Amino acid sequence: MIRKSGWLIFLSILGAIFLLVYVFAGTAIRFGMVYSLEKAAGAEVNIQRVSLGLFPLSLTISDLQITDAKAPEQNLVSFARANAELELWPALLGYYVISDVSVEQLAYGSERRRPGKVFRGELADTEDSGFDFASLFAIELPDADELLARANLTSVAKGEALQQLAQSEQQQVRQLRQQLPDSERLRELEQQIKALTDGDIRDAADLAAKTEQLRRLKAELEQDKAKVEQVKTALLQSREQLQSAVRDFQQATQADWQQVQSYANLADGGLAGISQLLLGDLWTERLQQLYTVYQLVAPYLPEGSRLEEQPEPRELPGRILPLKQQPYPNFWIKNASISLLIGGGNAELRIEDITAQHHIIDAATRFVLDVQQLPMLQQFRLDGNFAIFDQLQSEVNWQLQGLQLAERVFGEGSTRFGLEQALLNSRGGLSLSGTALSQQASVALQTPRFSSGDNRYVQQLTQLMNQQAEIPFQLRANGTVTRPNVRVSSPLDRIVADAVMGEAQARFAGFEQDLRSKFNAKLPDTAGDQQALLSLLDREQASTEQMSQQIETLLQAQLGDLRDRALDRIRGRIGG
Amino acid sequence: MLTMLARILKVLNSEASPWQIGWAVALGLCAGLLPFGLLTVLILLIACLFTVNLSTFLLVWGFSKALLWLLAAPLEQLGWNIGQQDWLLSVLSHSETLQLLHLHHSLVLAAFLLSVLILFPVAWLTTRLVLKYRHVLMPHLNQWKVVQLLKASKLAQLYQKMN
Repeated sequence: MIRKSGWLIFLSILGAIFLLVYVFAGTAIRFGMVYSLEKAAGAEVNIQRVSLGLFPLSLTISDLQITDAKAPEQNLVSFARANAELELWPALLGYYVISDVSVEQLAYGSERRRPGKVFRGELADTEDSGFDFASLFAIELPDADELLARANLTSVAKGEALQQLAQSEQQQVRQLRQQLPDSERLRELEQQIKALTDGDIRDAADLAAKTEQLRRLKAELEQDKAKVEQVKTALLQSREQLQSAVRDFQQATQADWQQVQSYANLADGGLAGISQLLLGDLWTERLQQLYTVYQLVAPYLPEGSRLEEQPEPRELPGRILPLKQQPYPNFWIKNASISLLIGGGNAELRIEDITAQHHIIDAATRFVLDVQQLPMLQQFRLDGNFAIFDQLQSEVNWQLQGLQLAERVFGEGSTRFGLEQALLNSRGGLSLSGTALSQQASVALQTPRFSSGDNRYVQQLTQLMNQQAEIPFQLRANGTVTRPNVRVSSPLDRIVADAVMGEAQARFAGFEQDLRSKFNAKLPDTAGDQQALLSLLDREQASTEQMSQQIETLLQAQLGDLRDRALDRIRGRIGG
Repeated sequence: MLTMLARILKVLNSEASPWQIGWAVALGLCAGLLPFGLLTVLILLIACLFTVNLSTFLLVWGFSKALLWLLAAPLEQLGWNIGQQDWLLSVLSHSETLQLLHLHHSLVLAAFLLSVLILFPVAWLTTRLVLKYRHVLMPHLNQWKVVQLLKASKLAQLYQKMN
């Protein structure tokens, strides 16, 4: 039942497996890395050596070079040596806890000893700076007629509707007028009533006949009175309709004018702030790079706090179950140090506690980047932290001094505007909570030199800006990480607006006047129709009111007279 | 391929006890279904210490590794679902030994449970099948003309050579 040589066989098999792994693992990892990186980069990848260490358990990668697919004589990324030390006990439990990671001489764009092979064609550079200085300084004002045509004015339709309403209502009022009793008929009725009330009553039969006659006259008057009331109501409705139509027309006119103003950019004086134009888009682009970082950490964020639903990661051969008390994060690098070769100097990046499960170690990932004494930069320090608890939280601060800006040209031809030289200093902070971004920074261009084309606006601007020893900017951004709202402000805005844009503002004022008069001309002249209907309504209302009172008086008077005289006669007969 | 078939036939026709073959198949299947780790090493130790048929064990281990690749996705999902039980999570949280066996990994957990479920039935069933083969099928087969012809073939020569 028990094999006597069992232990020996077991140890032999285990030893063989261990030896196989130890001898071939390095080579296997190297081939695996080269294959994966070449697939990702689309260009040749070289790794000199990958070796495994046992005490402590470590992996060392020597001399990695990834060819830049766009420039095969250069490396996209390279480093001389990378080393990672894995802690054994957590690894036996299935957690990847790396005590130390170091990358030495990490470089971007370093020169290759020989050009690397490129497996995929380079992509065409379709990047657009998104900034058009020419459109700013050419100051080609839009044509007023074109703007009015683009505006799709609703007030024109409303005005025409108002005209039609006024005309149709006038017609209707005239028709109603015909239904009313004319003054001839009223006079006739008045005479008949007068004859009845003034005449003698001979006997009871005469009284009954006259009473009957009066009743008929009263019925006719009641009918006339009803018609008058009907006309009065109709006139009231017409007036209300007219008032409503006039109100609609006025509102539409106001809205249309605002729309036309926005097309012409007149509401803000026609010109945006110069500093917003200079740095706004640029800064927005930089902030949007944060979104790339966000996408990297998104799969680790708790559900509900993600910006958008990420596909469920399929991690085979297994996921770690959500234990009540997990001893280690699934992945944790305690210390990492990277030495970067950039711009002819060195930079040191130190990161502590890299993980996506900060709640287990109860600490945030912290990082510090120190760059000093580069030929193009005096000093740069970036420090901050980030942690994924209920949501991603991050704080970053930076301090940059003496960055020599590369020459930058905006626009072309006569409206060309170029930055020839300047030193950039900046200090600021950024905080990210979930997807909400809040950032403030101060940026200053020291001893800037600008150049310009032939356009005299640009020349004035350049002259003014070259007089400044320092141009300070304040940058603020808030909103979501995908759509940050960047505001750039500077005292420069006011100076530029006053000095350079004065003439442009005058042109805008003239343009606005022209636009207003053309806009008014475009609207239908509703005043005549509207006024005619109003005066007709006034006349008719007065006339019907008078008629109504007349009928009412007639009705009241004949009843009173008949009753009084009948009573007097009865009293006389009785003996009075 | 022929060598492998000959190897199987050799084991089936050898003096090895049916139980030794049955347990070798069951343990090999368990070792293959589990991702390589301490549990696999433990199974290997059991296979080495007890007189199970090692050739069969190693052969089935290799074959069932392919089975793991096929079953990995559903097994992983099953392990993840089972692993949501509070009591299980609590037990796994407080036991480093279980974590050392990687039972807090969804795939290992599911593969382990499946292995425990099938270990005894597979061992028993394989034993029965080997017995059936030896007592019922083998005498009949030997009488078949086809088999007699085959015996004169390369396969039979290989078989003889191995014996």
